[in-house]
Amino acid sequence: MRPMLPILFLYIILFIIGYTIPGMWQPVAFIMFYIALGQAFNIFLGLTGYVDFGYVAFLALGSYGMAIAFSSLHESSLGFGVILIGLVLAMVMSSILSLAVGAVALRLRGAYFAIATIGVNEGFRYFVEGARIWGGSEGMIISGQIRNVFGSDIANFVSTFVADIFVFLIAGIAAFITYLILNRKMGYALMALREDEDAAKVMGINVTKYKIMAFILSASFAGLLGATAWTLKMTYVFPADVFLITYTVEAIVIVMLGGAGTLMGPLVGGLIYGILKYYLSVLLPGFQLLILAPLLIIVVVAFPDGIVGALKKRIKGELTNYIR
Amino acid sequence: MAFVDQLLTNLLYGAILGSVYGLATMGLSLIFGVLRIVNVGHGAFIMIGAFTAFWMFILYGIPPLVSISIALIVGLALGFVIFYTVIKRLIDAPELATLLATFGIGLFLEELAKLFWGPDYRGFSWNVGSVNMGMTIIPVSKIYALISSIIIAFVLYLWFQRTKLGAAVRAVVEDKEGAMVCGINVTRIYALSFAIGIGLTVASGVLITLFVPVGINPYMGGEYTLKAFVIAVLGGLASPWGAFYAGFIFGLLENGSYTILGLLPNVEPFSLTRFVAFTALLIILLVKPTGLLGGEK
Repeated sequence: MRPMLPILFLYIILFIIGYTIPGMWQPVAFIMFYIALGQAFNIFLGLTGYVDFGYVAFLALGSYGMAIAFSSLHESSLGFGVILIGLVLAMVMSSILSLAVGAVALRLRGAYFAIATIGVNEGFRYFVEGARIWGGSEGMIISGQIRNVFGSDIANFVSTFVADIFVFLIAGIAAFITYLILNRKMGYALMALREDEDAAKVMGINVTKYKIMAFILSASFAGLLGATAWTLKMTYVFPADVFLITYTVEAIVIVMLGGAGTLMGPLVGGLIYGILKYYLSVLLPGFQLLILAPLLIIVVVAFPDGIVGALKKRIKGELTNYIR
Repeated sequence: MAFVDQLLTNLLYGAILGSVYGLATMGLSLIFGVLRIVNVGHGAFIMIGAFTAFWMFILYGIPPLVSISIALIVGLALGFVIFYTVIKRLIDAPELATLLATFGIGLFLEELAKLFWGPDYRGFSWNVGSVNMGMTIIPVSKIYALISSIIIAFVLYLWFQRTKLGAAVRAVVEDKEGAMVCGINVTRIYALSFAIGIGLTVASGVLITLFVPVGINPYMGGEYTLKAFVIAVLGGLASPWGAFYAGFIFGLLENGSYTILGLLPNVEPFSLTRFVAFTALLIILLVKPTGLLGGEK
């Protein structure tokens, strides 16, 4: 359990900062979203090395899941049960998509897999818009339904506080799952797969099984995140927003920045990225991307293993020097 | 009969637009074929080309056909600069690094364009008369676009097949180590191929302005990046020639299915057309990842 302690400690500090200092809840929730995104994506990207460029589709499906729960159950008297049903729906929908994508697209590797997943994301978005399902391009607005279920005071509390608490929980559970995987057979199998898939296969590792397991786990966390950080918080779902490829890239940046496949990586990456993005958009509104883009290029060129990865390497290097 | 006429008209437009799509994808395929890098920021270079055509026309009255050569030079220079500052260091890096780096480059170019030229939609119209084709009237500027993309693709083909440098590029694609042993400077070939790929893409941006009267804006490229992916996969991802033919097919399919899907009640044919395109992409990737048209050699 020891590797989990610094992570829990940091989450608690973040929570206390947000809860006690007035005006800090918003930035803390913003940063937590990116940390949770990183933790969720790390389970797939970090552990398998496969680049899913359409990851945001899982968040999108999750946010639709929550919106569907509210729009069809807002006349029932289930109260918080509706949120629960929404969460389950979000998980189920994103897992089903990940199973479908995983079963077919995980046969492809490298650039082909990345392009195929972009295709899934965009194809799904245009299907929703084109066939006019779930409100088509007009999306779903559920602020009225949330008020119907909870009354306007609690509804406000749900979208400004409860939604963010869920994000904290998702980040924590995703980190814990990562920790569990890393210390089990699955972690070693995935490590072997990431280093050399063919060799791992020859050694008798069922690579397909572990790849799909990591994919489904990662996708269901993404679904939960979409359901809470987007639908519950914003109270609407627009296909043009929720299928935006930028979120996928942000998730990749966070995992990469921290160090793919490490337990602390997404936390470090999410913290750095979230703080940079939030304060750049406060200090220099409209210019944050102009600054982030070259930073992204520099990080990719300078730290191909991410910051946590680079630190690990450096520490290891010094240790081996001593031993020699 | 009205429907058949409409379908034929749209298919004709599809073929013309498809030639420009083909040219716009050749750069992507060339870069992937030689360097094994997927340029996720592809569309930003098309945007640069579109703005080149726009400013040349508005400020100096230079017609788009002349701007093609200017755009080619701009693109070549841009390609060399980007290669030697970023891409060179990532040649042997995993996909993750190159995907992120090229995305970052595209984003940076878009933001720079927004900084200098603002986020508004702009456009210009280059009026050089039109031709009556019987069922429809086609502007001459679009026919020029068709002819220029065919000529550019053909010149590139000749360059690859008939010159020493072209042969060197083919040798690097065939066998990197072997080419190195034969005294080919592989890094320089990479740089040249990347620059040509970017140059072609920027040049195709000029031709795209002839089809989008008021669609020039810093973020216009995203749509073309996605289309280019579909077309590149259709043509085999690593083959510029495959991409060029696939562009034609894509243009025909896009406009044809738009006309047919428009008959369905209660749908948005524009979005469904794209859904069809991405479904086709997935099917091709699964059934024949090397592309429908020969693909990698």
